Amino acid sequence: MSSSTFAWIADTPISAWVNSSGTIWPTLESIHFVSLCVLVGSLLIIDLRLIGFYRERCASTVQVLIRLSLAAFVVNFLTGALFFAGNSPKYLNNSAFELKLILIVLAGMNAIFYRVRLSNLVDTNEVTRSSIGVGYLSLFLWTGVIICGRMITFYAR
Amino acid sequence: MSFLAYLEASAFSEWLLISMLGFPTLIALHSVGMAVAVGLSLMVTLQLNQMLTGLSARLIPKFLNIAVWGFVLNLITGIALFVSRGQEYITSAIFLVKMLLVIVSALILFWLRRHLLRTKLTTDVLVASSVARGMSVVFAATWVGAVVSGRLIAYLSDMY
Repeated sequence: MSSSTFAWIADTPISAWVNSSGTIWPTLESIHFVSLCVLVGSLLIIDLRLIGFYRERCASTVQVLIRLSLAAFVVNFLTGALFFAGNSPKYLNNSAFELKLILIVLAGMNAIFYRVRLSNLVDTNEVTRSSIGVGYLSLFLWTGVIICGRMITFYAR
Repeated sequence: MSFLAYLEASAFSEWLLISMLGFPTLIALHSVGMAVAVGLSLMVTLQLNQMLTGLSARLIPKFLNIAVWGFVLNLITGIALFVSRGQEYITSAIFLVKMLLVIVSALILFWLRRHLLRTKLTTDVLVASSVARGMSVVFAATWVGAVVSGRLIAYLSDMY
């Protein structure tokens, strides 16, 4: 994305709205962090099943947790997009932000792999090498997403 | 205050503020601990209140054990972060509110873990006592309050 695009985003009404009051930014941050906790909590329970921390048939529970994590992700994405609109220069050439986006895409691909190849596994007591790999990769990627998210402020130019 | 001033003047505090990695790394790990502790606590609250069914009740103390580890990470990194700005934080009402909410949440976390470990299970379905269910709702609220007040420190500590 070029610097002119970032400048254009900074001129949009959304950007103006985010910065129009001193309460909007802290409110968005609070929502972003609470939904992050919901996202991590629900994913942790799924990932712990995949790596074999517990072995139970829990397909219906996993379905509920997936819906919960998706809802939390949507809230995170929307609030994140508003941060971006409100202070786009902060994200220009910001390696922490770029790495965070890459990790989110990889986490999404990992989730799709689970959906396509492993979603039946949680209806059994089994743990496979693939499920262990998917579970640990998910834990690693989301930990990376949190760390990079916190680093954005420190890498802003 | 002189003790806090002594801590702020320590070599560790100086390193934390000057080094490129010290403060950002601690704050990132603080967030990881928060997400684990609060996230799992919220999921356990849903389980205890029958809003998340299908998992064995025996798992709940195990999840709370992991939440405790998340809290320990939070505590260690929180103390390390406090060392560098103790004098500023201790006079901030919003920080003190956060601390109060964290203490209440942590006490309930430890109590709930102990209570559930002592509850004899005859089946995989836990029928939690109304006290345990009520306490879980309280700690979900206090954890969320702690997260929100933690975010507000950066914005409101000058005012309150």
